Amino acid sequence: MSGTGGRTLLTVRGLAKRFGGLVAVDDVDFDLDDGEILGIIGPNGAGKTTTFNLIAGALRADAGSIRLRDAEIAGLPAHKVAARGILRTFQHNRPFKGMNVLENLLVGAHRRVRARPWAAALGLPSARREDAALAAAARETLAFVGLGDHAASDVSKLSFGQGRLLECARALMGEPAIILFDEPAAGLTSVEAERLGGVIRGIAARGIAVLLIEHDMRFLLPLAHRVVVLDRGAKIADGTPAAISREPAVIEAYLGRHAGAAA
Amino acid sequence: MTDLLELAVSILEAGGIYALMALAYLVVLRPTGIINFAVGEWATLASFFSVATLGWWNLPYIPGAVLALAGVAAIGALTEQATVRPMIERGAPILTPILILLGMVVVYREAAALGFGTQNLRVPPPLGFGRIDLGPIAIPMQSAVVIAVSGIMLAGTWAFFERTIWGKAFQAVAIDRVAAGLMGINLRLVAAFSFAGGAAIAGTAGVLQAPLTSAHYLMGLPLAIKGFSALVIGGVGRVEGCILGGLVLAACERLVMRYAPIPSGFAIGVPLLLMILFLLVRPTGLIGARGRT
Amino acid sequence: MNAKLAAAIGWLAGAAILAALSLTLTGYHADLFRKLLLTATLAVGYNFQFGFAGQIAFSHYAFYGIGAYAITILSTRFGLALPVAALATIGLSALLALMVAIPANRLEGFYIALATLAFAQLFVVVMVQGGDFTGGPDGLFGFDAPTIFGARLAGANFMLVVSALFLANLALFAALGRSWFGRACRAVRDDPEAAAAMGVDVARTRIAVFTLTSSLAAVAGMAYAFADNFVNPFVFGIDAMFVLLFMVLIGGAGRHAGAVVGCVFLFMLPEYLGDLVGRFHLLAYGILMVVVMMFLPNGIIGLWDRLAKRLRPEPAR
Repeated sequence: MSGTGGRTLLTVRGLAKRFGGLVAVDDVDFDLDDGEILGIIGPNGAGKTTTFNLIAGALRADAGSIRLRDAEIAGLPAHKVAARGILRTFQHNRPFKGMNVLENLLVGAHRRVRARPWAAALGLPSARREDAALAAAARETLAFVGLGDHAASDVSKLSFGQGRLLECARALMGEPAIILFDEPAAGLTSVEAERLGGVIRGIAARGIAVLLIEHDMRFLLPLAHRVVVLDRGAKIADGTPAAISREPAVIEAYLGRHAGAAA
Repeated sequence: MTDLLELAVSILEAGGIYALMALAYLVVLRPTGIINFAVGEWATLASFFSVATLGWWNLPYIPGAVLALAGVAAIGALTEQATVRPMIERGAPILTPILILLGMVVVYREAAALGFGTQNLRVPPPLGFGRIDLGPIAIPMQSAVVIAVSGIMLAGTWAFFERTIWGKAFQAVAIDRVAAGLMGINLRLVAAFSFAGGAAIAGTAGVLQAPLTSAHYLMGLPLAIKGFSALVIGGVGRVEGCILGGLVLAACERLVMRYAPIPSGFAIGVPLLLMILFLLVRPTGLIGARGRT
Repeated sequence: MNAKLAAAIGWLAGAAILAALSLTLTGYHADLFRKLLLTATLAVGYNFQFGFAGQIAFSHYAFYGIGAYAITILSTRFGLALPVAALATIGLSALLALMVAIPANRLEGFYIALATLAFAQLFVVVMVQGGDFTGGPDGLFGFDAPTIFGARLAGANFMLVVSALFLANLALFAALGRSWFGRACRAVRDDPEAAAAMGVDVARTRIAVFTLTSSLAAVAGMAYAFADNFVNPFVFGIDAMFVLLFMVLIGGAGRHAGAVVGCVFLFMLPEYLGDLVGRFHLLAYGILMVVVMMFLPNGIIGLWDRLAKRLRPEPAR
C-alpha cells in the first residue's frame, strides 16, 4: 500500500474519536511513507478534520495508535508532536501578526534551535551564529516557495494566496519529517492553487512526507500519490487516485452523491 | 440569636451592594466581551452626584437619587460612544477598549477629585439614621433601604433578561454577535445601552453605600474588586450568579471579621483570597455561564 | 560589522552619559535621576512581560515591593550579609513568581490580570498588617546604606550601581527579544495555538517569562530599598502599577525604546507640568493614555518611526 516505495514513516492503527454520542473517527488505519503525498478525502462530516487534529495533537484520541517511525505519538500535545517533526499549516492562514515574514519563518524553525536560553539572554556568539544561519535558511525557504522578495514585509501586506505560501514556508523551516496540510487549496484562485501544488510537489521531492486533507478533487487527484477515503468516520478506500475513483463504494459515498446531487 | 440575625442583616446589606457591582460588570461584559474596571469609578461618580443633588441642592431623595443615576448613566453611554465604539468599528483587538477603560478609571477618579475634592463628603440617607424594630432585632434604617433597593434592582434586572424581548436581544448578542447582528438586533444600541445600564447599576451601589461610609474619591477600587470577586465566585454569566457571589463574599467577609482571630485589617484580603481561590479551583464559579461569552 | 560597531558605540555612549550624570547630579536632581532609572528598569521588564509575551499581569510592582521588603528584612532583622540577603531575595521572589505563574497560566486572557491584581493587593494588605515585622503602614526606615567591597552604596556609588542595573536589564531584554526566545514569546502573544503547532511550549514560555521578569523586578526593588533607605507599602500599590502600564503603552508596547521613552516622558511630565496640573498629573496621564491608545496604537515610538520614514522617503542607493 505504498505510493513511492519509501520507508514507512507514519503508521496509524485503529484510530477512534467520539464526541458524545457521535462517532467522528471509527477504527481508521493507514500508513504514510517518506516523500509520499497522501490525500485524505471524504464528504462533510466524514472525519477528515478530526483525523487531522488527532495526528497534529490538537485532539486526543479515544483509542488507537499513531506511530512516527517507532515512537508512539498519540496523546502528545500539539507542541510535542511538532517537536517530533510533524508540522502543520492552518486552513485559515494564521501568521504571527506582530512579526514580519522572516520572523514568522524563524518561529517555524523553533524545533531546530540548539542555543540554550541563557546563551540567548546573554547574546553569546554561538547563539548569534545559529540565528544568522537560520535566517539564511529562511531566505532560501522563502525563495523556494516564491516569496523571496517579501522577507522584510509585514504579514498584513501579503495576499491570501501568499499567506498560504507563508504557512508552507513556516512549516518547512522546522525541517519536518511530515507536513500536514489542512485544506491547502481552500480559498485560492486556480492560479494560486496551481502554484501551491507545485510547491507541495517540491516539498515531497525533498523527501518530506505530505499528508493533506482536501475538498477540492481537481486540486487533489493530480497531486496525490495515494488517497484515503473516509465516510462517516470509517475508511472505505485506500489506493492511487486512479484506483479510488473507480471504487464503487467511493463513487457511491462521495463522488456519486455529489454527482447525483448535481445531475 | 439576636447576634446571628444582626449578622444576617449585615451580610444581606453588604451582599446586595457587592451583587450590584458584580452585575454592573456582567451587563457590560456579556454583550460586548469587555471587562470594564471603570465600574468602581461609576459608583464613585454617582455617590458624588448624590452629594450634589441631595446635599447641595436639597432635592427630595427619589428625584435626587434618580438624577444622580441618570448623570452617571449618561457618562457611561458617552464613554462608550467616544472611546469604545470607534475602536470596535476600527476592528481593534478587544484588549484595546479594555485598556482604554483602564485609562478611564484614572480619568474618572481624578476628575472626581478635581470636582469634589479629596475629603469625605456626607450624603444624607433617605429615611434617616433610625432603626426599625423587628421582633428581637432592630435593623438600621439605611440597611433596610440597601437591602430593599438592591433586591428590587437585582430582581428587575433578572426579569429584564429573562422576561423581555430586549433582554433576549442582550442574551443573543452575548451568545453570537454576528448572528445577532444578522437577525436585525442593533448592536450599537445594545452596546450603548449596556454601558448606560452598567453605569446606572454601579451608580446605585455607590448611592446606597455613600450614606454609610461617606462619598470619597478613592471608594471605587475596593468596590470594583469586591464586585469582581463576587462575579468570579458566582460565575460569569447570570444574574443569579451575581447575587449568590455577592452573598457568599459578604458572608465570608463578615464571618471572618467577627470570628476569625486575625487583625481586622486582614479582612480586606478576604475578597482577594476568595477571588484567587475561585479563579484557580473553579473558574466557572458556583453557577456556570449559559451560552458562551 | 558596521552595525555591530554602531551598536557597541551606542551602548558605550549610553553608559558614559549615565556614569557622568551619576557622578555630577546632586540633591533633588540626583533623587529624580535614580528613581527614573529604577522605574525605567521596571518598565523595560514589564514591556517584555506585556509587550513581548502578551501577559497582562498587574503584579510587577508587587514584586518590586517584595524585593525591597525582603532585602531590608533579611539584612536588618536577620542580620544576613548583603550578598547572602540578595541571593535569598532573588530565590524567594523567583519562588513566589513560580507560585503565581504556574496556576495563573491555566487562566484565560484577562483573568490572569485579575488574579495578579488580587495578588498585588494582597501583598500591600499583608505589608500594612504585618505589624512590627513589616513596619505596618509606616513601612521600614532608618536602616543603613550597605557597604560592599569597602564602598558605601550611597550618593554617586549608588547611582552608578543603579545605572549599571538599568543597562544590564536593557541589554538582557534586548538580546532576549532578538533571540529565538523573544520570537517564541511574540508567537505565543500573537497566536498561542499556532505557536504550539510550531513546537513552542506555550505554558513553559509563559511561566519562564513571568518568573524572569518578576524576579528582575524584585532585583530592582532591592536597589529601591536603598534609594532612600525607606520602604513603604503604599509605594507598591495599584496606582504605580497603572502608571507603569501607561508608560509602556504610551511609549509603544513591544519595543524596548518605547518602554524607555514612555517612562522618561511620564516621569518627567509632572516636573514640567507641575505648575499647570498641580497634583492632578494622574489625570493628565489617564487622558494621555486614552488618547494615545485611540490615535497612536504603536505609541510615541510608532510616531517616531513614521516621521523617520517620511524624512527619508527614498532608500539610499
